[in-house]
Amino acid sequence: MYNTRVRGILIKGNKSFSDVSRDIIKPMDDKTPMWWWVTAFLATGALFWGVWGFYNTISTGIGTWGLNNNVAWGWAIINFVWWIGIGHAGTAFSIFLLIVRQKWRTSINRAAEAMTIFAVMAAGLFPLIHMGRIWDGFFIFPYWNTRGPVWDNFNSPLFWDVVAISTYFMASFVFWYMGMIPDFATIRERTTSAIKKKIYGALSFGWIGNAKGWLRFETAAILLGGMAAPLVVSVHSIVSMDFSVSVVPGWHTTIFPPYFVVGAIFSGFGMVLTLMIVMRKLYKFKDYVTDGHLDAITRILTFMSLIMGTAYLTELFMAWYSGSEYELFTFMKNRVTGDYKFAYWTMLICNGMIPQLFWFKAVRKNITIVFIISLFINLGMWFERYVIVVTSLSKDFLPATWATYEPTITEIAVYSGTIGLFVLGVLMFFRFVPTIAISEVKGVLKETSTLKSFTDEN
Amino acid sequence: MKTNILGIYEDEKVLTDAVDKLQAQGVTISDVFSPIPLHGIWEKLNLTTRLPLATFLYGAFGAALTFAFLFWTSVVSYPLKFGGKPLNTLSFIIIMFVLTINIGTLFTFITYFVREKMFPGKQVKLDVPRTTDDQFTIVIERPLDMSLDEEKKINALLKETGAVEVIETNN
Repeated sequence: MYNTRVRGILIKGNKSFSDVSRDIIKPMDDKTPMWWWVTAFLATGALFWGVWGFYNTISTGIGTWGLNNNVAWGWAIINFVWWIGIGHAGTAFSIFLLIVRQKWRTSINRAAEAMTIFAVMAAGLFPLIHMGRIWDGFFIFPYWNTRGPVWDNFNSPLFWDVVAISTYFMASFVFWYMGMIPDFATIRERTTSAIKKKIYGALSFGWIGNAKGWLRFETAAILLGGMAAPLVVSVHSIVSMDFSVSVVPGWHTTIFPPYFVVGAIFSGFGMVLTLMIVMRKLYKFKDYVTDGHLDAITRILTFMSLIMGTAYLTELFMAWYSGSEYELFTFMKNRVTGDYKFAYWTMLICNGMIPQLFWFKAVRKNITIVFIISLFINLGMWFERYVIVVTSLSKDFLPATWATYEPTITEIAVYSGTIGLFVLGVLMFFRFVPTIAISEVKGVLKETSTLKSFTDEN
Repeated sequence: MKTNILGIYEDEKVLTDAVDKLQAQGVTISDVFSPIPLHGIWEKLNLTTRLPLATFLYGAFGAALTFAFLFWTSVVSYPLKFGGKPLNTLSFIIIMFVLTINIGTLFTFITYFVREKMFPGKQVKLDVPRTTDDQFTIVIERPLDMSLDEEKKINALLKETGAVEVIETNN
């Protein structure tokens, strides 16, 4: 049985099943709060700015970006990898913590999965507009055509990326939706509004919660989760191969796949932390997302940060040890001391050093500091992608072609647009969907709370 | 027409014990409704699922189909050399790996709904709506020829095992 002494109490406040349903559904029944409208207004503004950037790119061309012959990949790819990384949290939370039987996941997994969906949607936009001629986007699919037929190059990591990310989006969505079905049924039966009853009734697919239904549901959830787990590892490995199969100094390394996967989970957990702190504050979910939950995430982040730090040092060591002067130049001159040293050191400090403050209990217990550090992780992980993409491309083998890169207003607009899209998505999730998995919390309630029946038994 | 006897419980532990006691008395339980998955109940009711087998078959089919497609396009239909790599190359494994998961996931999801006869917009009416919230129900079929004595015995057993309410519904 679950040992409360290990993790503390997961659900506080002696909740009954009915209390759990009421607490979690309450924000959906309440009047839309002011902060929601204000944030939605700002996010919509950002989205519209993004639409302008999008229009500018499509109507004029990629020339509206700050790219040049050398730095042919800029903010678009940086932001793409950044969003995909954030999108790794949901599945990492749901699946990995499910596999290692960590029951504290139940309060957080729903929000983390929702984050995945919106982050992957934001990420997917970048390769699409990077094509320039978006109307020819369907060329990427291997369809029967009149040119030969010429098929795709199935050895290209860019094609692998398309397959991996669309699969990841589909699998994450399916897993997320599946988990919500019993909760939609709970809302369907509880609500007094006829409209809500209809909508959530339709969304619940006619769920009744009988024994066979639950058996199939649990089996399907484990199967979908089990299949999504290797997918998490493969998606970011494949993203890393976009870089590592090339011969560009700084990219051409075997460390990339694990380094990218860990980085993705690290940034994802960072974003989960940011989001959960905001959510529990606004919705008064402190009984569900307890200090213990946040503490557990910070401990994972400390460990992840150590791996990140080790990866950065390993890269430096290998650059020196390989004896390749190009590698040595890229790492020691261009990154550590050169034009991009600000970005490099921001990355190193934000990812490798600041999260190490979590070793101190006083830091872990201070939610304000935890929140600030989570923002630093998001920032640091953005700079990591900036360092990888820009520093390697700007100065490669031929000094005559060296070039610098700065984003234009169009690129900034597109990025802000994806942030707007993500925030709007999260706001919709906050408003219309149970933000915590009701049935899963109920499933662990007795063994992990201070309910009388539990304490009596022990 | 058949009817059902429903015993309503408010605690999963009480319900699980009740299932044991009822079965020991020879009562056949036709179903259990609950707001959470009750893992022990499935063995007690002899419920099994072949979903894992289906998923395995979908995955195997997905892997084979993907390889067949890659082989046909790259080796048979239009053999075009990229960077001196062999036409039938090891890097097919990456796409095969991902599409195996893709096809396995999608078809498992669909199979679940087909087997459960669930679809978007399906309207249902629950006899005890609170089984999606905080109550648990044991369903016992009551055939028309069930004697009054037997019915009384079942009702008494349900009450005895901790049911807060016993009701009868049309099937």
